[in-house]
Amino acid sequence: MRRSLLVWLLLVLCEATAFAEGPLLTEQGWAVRPSGRLSLDAGLILGTPAAWQTGLSAGVGGGVMIGRRWAWGVRASWSTATESSLAWTVTRQDVRVRAVGAIQQTAGRGTFALRLGLGPTVVHEDRVRNQGKRAGLTGSDLETSAFTTLPAADLEAVVAVRVAGSWALIVCGGPSVLIADGTFHGGWTTLLGAGWQP
Amino acid sequence: MATVRGARFFGAVGVGIAVGVVMTVAAAGCGNLKGLGGSQPPLVTFNVMTTGAAPAAPRSLQVALIWGAQWLTEPFCVLPAESDKAAAIIAAGCRDPFGFVPARVAMSVPITPDAPASLSLFDLPSADVMVGDITARVAYGSLVVYDDRDKSGTLELATPHRTPSGGRQGEFEDAADSADVVYGASFITMTAPDQRVAYREGKFNAASAFYPRSGCDDPPPGFAVIGAGGFTREAGLASAAAGQLPPEDPSACTKAPADAVINVALQASSADLREVGCVERANDSSTRYREPPTDAPDFSGRLTACAHLPAFDAGGQSSLIQLVVSGRADDRCMGLTHYTLRGCRENVSCPVPDWDFTATPPTWWPCPH
Repeated sequence: MRRSLLVWLLLVLCEATAFAEGPLLTEQGWAVRPSGRLSLDAGLILGTPAAWQTGLSAGVGGGVMIGRRWAWGVRASWSTATESSLAWTVTRQDVRVRAVGAIQQTAGRGTFALRLGLGPTVVHEDRVRNQGKRAGLTGSDLETSAFTTLPAADLEAVVAVRVAGSWALIVCGGPSVLIADGTFHGGWTTLLGAGWQP
Repeated sequence: MATVRGARFFGAVGVGIAVGVVMTVAAAGCGNLKGLGGSQPPLVTFNVMTTGAAPAAPRSLQVALIWGAQWLTEPFCVLPAESDKAAAIIAAGCRDPFGFVPARVAMSVPITPDAPASLSLFDLPSADVMVGDITARVAYGSLVVYDDRDKSGTLELATPHRTPSGGRQGEFEDAADSADVVYGASFITMTAPDQRVAYREGKFNAASAFYPRSGCDDPPPGFAVIGAGGFTREAGLASAAAGQLPPEDPSACTKAPADAVINVALQASSADLREVGCVERANDSSTRYREPPTDAPDFSGRLTACAHLPAFDAGGQSSLIQLVVSGRADDRCMGLTHYTLRGCRENVSCPVPDWDFTATPPTWWPCPH
């Protein structure tokens, strides 16, 4: 694992050096292709659980965008978080669906963007009464489930670095807000993943 | 040209989703998530009913669920008495060897005589009140009706009041008894019919001597209310001497779901009933022999007797005589204090004693030496 990481770092450094000195190494297989209007990305996400101001929700997400300086697209993600108290263990799964618009600028191998997403966050909650199974509880005394849909918005800064060919490393993150029980709840979300831009 | 069409397509998709978002916002349902809040359902609820009348007008009648402790009486209490004085001490200072010994009060709620009361439990019995390994363990509880005279909301478990010791052992504080009075319990002793709360996890070890019900069905997994008809003290001692469990009459065994009504008969306070609220410091049948103090302890209201040590305690000191002291008649809990002229805190037959007054016993020492 360490060796792989070291090799990867060396390659990245070599690639950066090559970019600075001209197309020497890029001619050896690290050339990037001119980017098109379409881009797809996917990766691991971390963020504040929706409608929950505690814990860390982890999962996967991705999206598709079209455009150059101004881009449109859709994104979706799934993440889950579990918290517990003396009485309950609660697992929440958040499914975020967003219509997004972005303004972006390409600089060398990098693309920088500011992305605004609007859409619903579907929350599935599963509550299990601690010690309930040992005590012989059944039904709703033991476990309850609930769904809800909450309106939400995300504002994310996006950095995409073209690594090779049509592939890029994507890092994005920023604040998010949703409305639950008539009040605004703030949070944050991040993504680390890979992008493909033919 | 195709790219432009794709851009328009995704743009349209984006606008469509945005419209969908707005509609979703309008129609979004929220508020049915409960998170870590909301009501907490009990793990089990027991139903209790008292029968009979309390002997005195109670100030605050309560019923408590008390988990039982595993306990063995000390040998002095079950071995044949070597004198009349020793027999009197045993009668005055030894609790019923088959009685229910409490470990912990799980919870307590008010109860009205002749009216049902519900006692909800929100936590399982902890591992220290369950007997057995993690594949087969069980906890037994007694529902105890008492007058909460000190208004503490719970039954204060008491301990015997022993007389002071010499040396470092003499540095102790004797807590006063609470004013609470026990009027009844669903499980007082194995020598009488009982109804007990059982909580079982895993299998059941039928050979376990933890409040045994030999001859009855195993308690079901989880919570249940079970009962037994009881056995005589003589049968219990004989079975113990034979290394067996005292048999129960199968026809007197009961087994019911946890929500079955448990009847508790109110009765006048008695020694056996008071003992339901008395914890024991040692539960392994060991006897703690103490160093006699230099000055004479206050033995007023107590019985004393001189007796030989049990052979397995005495080791090579067969001539060592112990002074046994009972509790006072008005103490809430029975108990004995044992003094020896020679011994150690943990082992009376230790080769290098912590104290040795065999050559020069205290002036008040009443026993031969």
